[in-house]
Amino acid sequence: MKEMKTIIKKELKRFFTDYRILFSLFLPGVLIFIMYSIMGSFMSKAMDPKITEFNVAIVNEPEEFKSFLKVEGWEVKINEKDYEKQEAIELIKNKELDLYIAYDENFYMNMESYEVGSGEPPKVEIYYNSSAESSAIIYSYYTECLDEFESTISNKFDINPNINENYNQVEDKDMTVQILSYVMPLLLTTFLFTGSLGICSESIAGEKERGTIATLLITPTKRSHIVLGKIISLGITSMASSIVSFIGLILSLPKLTGTSFDFSSYGVGTIFSMLGIIVVTVLLFTTLLTIISTISKSVKEATSYSTPLMILIILIGFSNFMSSGAVANHFLYLIPFYNIIQSLIGIFSLSLSTLDLLLCIFSNIFYIAIGVFTLTKMFNNEKIIFNK
Amino acid sequence: MEVLLEVKDLKKTFKLTKRQQKLNCSKEKYKVAVNGLSFNAYKGEIYGLLGPNGAGKTTTLRIISTLIKSDEGDAYINGISVKNNPGEVRKMIGFLTSELKLEDFFTPNYLFDYFATLHKMTKEEIEKRKTELFERFGIEKFKEVKICDLSTGMKQKVSIVISIIHNPDIIIFDEPTNGLDVITAKTVTDFLFELKKEGKTVILSTHIFSLVEKLCDRVGIIIEGRMIKDDLLSNLTKDKSLEDVFFEIYKQEVGE
Repeated sequence: MKEMKTIIKKELKRFFTDYRILFSLFLPGVLIFIMYSIMGSFMSKAMDPKITEFNVAIVNEPEEFKSFLKVEGWEVKINEKDYEKQEAIELIKNKELDLYIAYDENFYMNMESYEVGSGEPPKVEIYYNSSAESSAIIYSYYTECLDEFESTISNKFDINPNINENYNQVEDKDMTVQILSYVMPLLLTTFLFTGSLGICSESIAGEKERGTIATLLITPTKRSHIVLGKIISLGITSMASSIVSFIGLILSLPKLTGTSFDFSSYGVGTIFSMLGIIVVTVLLFTTLLTIISTISKSVKEATSYSTPLMILIILIGFSNFMSSGAVANHFLYLIPFYNIIQSLIGIFSLSLSTLDLLLCIFSNIFYIAIGVFTLTKMFNNEKIIFNK
Repeated sequence: MEVLLEVKDLKKTFKLTKRQQKLNCSKEKYKVAVNGLSFNAYKGEIYGLLGPNGAGKTTTLRIISTLIKSDEGDAYINGISVKNNPGEVRKMIGFLTSELKLEDFFTPNYLFDYFATLHKMTKEEIEKRKTELFERFGIEKFKEVKICDLSTGMKQKVSIVISIIHNPDIIIFDEPTNGLDVITAKTVTDFLFELKKEGKTVILSTHIFSLVEKLCDRVGIIIEGRMIKDDLLSNLTKDKSLEDVFFEIYKQEVGE
């Protein structure tokens, strides 16, 4: 046991004090936070523009429509001057005017008396410049007002007519549960896998390439202790890397989705369940990737061999989008990888039963034990260890 | 004289990959690397294994050092079977080959503690042995310098120190002076003499005749996996040089 601890300590020292390894482990998490936050703020900026001043010219504006341009928080300057159409178009092109609205004479009266199919309907022409943000915003707003008005003319009934009324009674915490159970299983497993991929591929294949594995193998330390020492240290490091990515994602999600997240639905039990699943998942991935690394002759080969496994995990992760929640069949929680995705769906949607959670954790521990046993056998196999 | 290492009828065959068959210009699927090899090494002597490249020297040393297993036959160190009890054997041997490398990221001081712990040494034993070996090899000054920043000679010295960290009874050196400058090579040969004086048994594989003539008490000549001659150096050479003796034997065996 002392030797195993020594191996763990040494591997962790390498992972956590070599700035190159640290950089590759923790940079993805930081990048996720920065990129998603930037994306989110761009999206919210696009949806909630800061421009509040507009310059508009209107011809023959009906009295009934005058309220359209009285928007709280906006300062819409309506030009008194009667522009010629061509003159107004030039001003819009030069971005000196945002909108030129030209109604037909007696537009409102003609509209009221107009029967469908009885000739030309009254018209309104709106000129704008989509390359000018202020022009695009006011154009979009004004046409929306007209559309809404038009739909009320032949109105028989309304659905949710009051735009200020909140008809959706979802609570923030329910929304959080829904969003997380939808996106998190795939993202989390992908992070856990990619967090393990780099260091595990390098672990044994890298030692073979550098010639340092034999130095370790001629010590009297048991092969099983060497294997366990390697897997535990790789697991701890992968988990640290994955947790940084996970935190980066969680912190950036409110900005990305524009929703205020309320995690109060997730109690201590949920957090421990999640931790249990994350630990077994990381150890399972670490064991499998270390087996691949041991078979491989070089780090490059190990990374190539790991790609199909990554594709498989992502594909299984996508099964989340094809179902409306975690599966109920207990036997499915024994299937490797699939049980992890289903358990994560269940955890995030607060619907995982204790039995399914335990089935998932213990079946994965069983698979990890088989993996460790296989690795120990492989470490004793000269054809595999010295296959340079 | 006390036999420390007894090698009995070792046989090792490797399956060749298609690439290796191509490189060998042969359709043979198997290569017999070691073929019924036997020899004894006695306490306090330096035994030299001499042979051309591909003769089976490294394979023999790898079998003795428990890194690979023989197909047939066995080796015994202090009467303990390498095949059946590799864990015990590892406590009694030190093995150094140019293939064994140290991790660049760590310092000699850290690696010494690491490997000493893996050899189940106590803290006191580690400190005592470290002071002794670091002083003997002039590593003290560089003990906190990362391996990657050390000169080739200093790296080799650290490798030697790591290989004998647990004060083994038998030390196996596979081409120990390969790629070393003359000064470091001299340090290594001087050290081998010192080991002999201390009563350690050294198994040395090389194809440098002068090194064998200078260091070894007993010589085994291996050609194509077979032990062709195994005798005291003085009996083998008599009034001839080792190089002449070797090529005479080689001509008889290979016919070139």
